[in-house]
Amino acid sequence: MLIDTTQLALERSISGAAQRQEALAANIANAATPGYRRVDVDFHGALAAVLGSSDARHTVEATGFTTQVDGTVGATQADGNSIDIDAESAKLAANALEQQAAVSVARTRNAILRAAMGVAS
Amino acid sequence: MSFFGGMEISATALTAQRLRMNVTAENLANAQTTRGPDGQPYRRKEVVLQAAPQQGAFGAQLSAALGSRGGVAPGGVQVAAINEDQTNGKLVYDPGHPDADAQGYVRMPNVDTVSEMVDLIDAQRTYEANVTAMQASKQMFAKTLEILR
Repeated sequence: MLIDTTQLALERSISGAAQRQEALAANIANAATPGYRRVDVDFHGALAAVLGSSDARHTVEATGFTTQVDGTVGATQADGNSIDIDAESAKLAANALEQQAAVSVARTRNAILRAAMGVAS
Repeated sequence: MSFFGGMEISATALTAQRLRMNVTAENLANAQTTRGPDGQPYRRKEVVLQAAPQQGAFGAQLSAALGSRGGVAPGGVQVAAINEDQTNGKLVYDPGHPDADAQGYVRMPNVDTVSEMVDLIDAQRTYEANVTAMQASKQMFAKTLEILR
């Protein structure tokens, strides 16, 4: 098969990182909003779960990610806000790098495929 | 979910923080204003922020259809209201002042310049944090376009 499970998983993780970027951007945007609870996307967990299944190829392709309120952190500010801006900035930077790494790997795999097909890239 | 989503969310925060800076600047500018349009001393204004619902009917429908799957849809921040602080300012004894009362006291605005400066710095730093978030989103978008090349 031309597009294998790894390539599909890379595509889903690029998409998941984009969705997580939105969640983290919203957290930073609401750093001073009273009562705001942080949201996050666990796309790693969702992908890891389906990659272990027997029919990984088809389930990976259909994997969607959920943006959820993070209940594991308590309020860090007196007004009930649970945003730690330093932690959010660090997560945002890590997420952006992770997405760029996934893109690089996906791109290289495409280049290998093109070389094998004899198509000039 | 879209690639521009992250940038739009950060943009809502830039708008909100810029408004906060404008309101703080107005408070500072009127720190000595003893007579407003209603004849009363100036009252400090305060921006109330709230989490915004996801913007754009089409974008919301699309992400609902494409796999947000019941989770929350982050939509940035918006200004809920600009409230006036109703506490009274301090009384200053200045019988020569045109707004002095019969006993010679003037009611000053309830603006505390030190806390306004703190608000100003807070708004500025939050603005910068959101600019950084927006740049990260932009880099991700640019990197994704490289797949096509």
